[in-house]
Amino acid sequence: MRNLFLFLREHYFYFLFLLLETLSLILFFNYNEFQSSSLYSVSNAVSGSVNNMFNGISEYFSLRKTNRVLIEEMAKLHSRIPEAFYTTDLNIFYKKDSIVKLEYKYISAKVISNSTNKRNNFLMINKGSMHGIENHMGVIIGNKIVGQVVSVSPHFSWAMSLLNKDSRVSGKFKKNNQLVNVEWKGGSYRKGQVKEIPKHIVMVKGDTIITSGNSDIFPEGLLIGTINQFNNPQDENFNNAELLFSTDFNSLGYVEVVVDMMRKEKEELKASFKSQ
Amino acid sequence: MTSRTVFFNIIRFFFLIIFQVLILNHINLGGYINPYFYIYFILLLPFSTPRWMLLVLSFILGIGIDIFTNTIGLNAAACVLMGFARPFVISAISSGPESLIGETPSLRSQGMKWFLYYAIILVLVHHISLFYLEIFRLTEFFATFVRILLSSTFTLMLVLISEYTFASSK
Repeated sequence: MRNLFLFLREHYFYFLFLLLETLSLILFFNYNEFQSSSLYSVSNAVSGSVNNMFNGISEYFSLRKTNRVLIEEMAKLHSRIPEAFYTTDLNIFYKKDSIVKLEYKYISAKVISNSTNKRNNFLMINKGSMHGIENHMGVIIGNKIVGQVVSVSPHFSWAMSLLNKDSRVSGKFKKNNQLVNVEWKGGSYRKGQVKEIPKHIVMVKGDTIITSGNSDIFPEGLLIGTINQFNNPQDENFNNAELLFSTDFNSLGYVEVVVDMMRKEKEELKASFKSQ
Repeated sequence: MTSRTVFFNIIRFFFLIIFQVLILNHINLGGYINPYFYIYFILLLPFSTPRWMLLVLSFILGIGIDIFTNTIGLNAAACVLMGFARPFVISAISSGPESLIGETPSLRSQGMKWFLYYAIILVLVHHISLFYLEIFRLTEFFATFVRILLSSTFTLMLVLISEYTFASSK
């Protein structure tokens, strides 16, 4: 026993190293489970308040741009109010409540930390479970997609940006509704990859890719990007293409979180099918 | 180790974390360069720091950064590895304990060649482990390697600039 202690004392440096390194790696690889644990919400609260403070300062630098975006948004909304439409007979536009049901609700939030230079990028927003945000909700800016929420604390949420190796968005060609997948393989934050394009589709530079609405995360028809470059490899079953994101991930100010009011129903339907 | 040294190291610890989180993490040049200058803290710890403390401080520093970047364990693992490598690097590139002049490793007291070897090896140990852990895929091996080289160069430049700027005041 004494020899064991002597041995440990002599080589304590190696043992301590192994201990701390193993601890770090366990933390890192179990990271997804930790998102829901108390450790995670503590770290979320600490980093959230610091980021919030810093963001309060840096907000002033982008006032000009924020104003422009707000004015654009206002113009867009003005064009949607009833007074902007030419109506002859109100009955035409009348719909019963039981037919029109709100499917998507939007919660506005402010981005308080964001990155585009890592292989896996995340952004933090200043709304959380208190405001009704839950995991797997989509994050959009205007009519462009940004990412999806991966963890929430009472006041803040972390969202996985589209610029992440685990991010995969179901999209489609606007011109012919052909389904594809959009991913990001690192490097420039402006360029993504379109995967699994069927061979027979004729692509043109500038083709628009929009969300398909198949994933329960984003509503249908949000802008993802436009085709920039494509290749037609002979030996594969699908074509690939490079896409220019519509979203400028490096200048996210205010975003909206999409709440799918019918998600529960959709999930229950899928679950009931699987259990049969 | 005087209380003055301890004080300076504590200040440096917090300053580097804040500098890294609020400024350097927002730097983005072509999606490739992302300096991790906060490891300057580990580089500058006094020679007389007990080796267990070296590991513990590296771990705390890494976790401190991880809390802000939402990557619990990633920076900690890279920092602990770097802290572990430090004593071996020092003994490998020095001719003997008596050749270590002064209290802390610095460019001024140890000379350009010694300090460059010291910084380059340790920065590479940290960056290589950090980037490959983050990716954890072999398919992007070479793209990641380019990112490591570019980021290490940038980190090293920041280290050298700080050495030249602050060395005279201490």
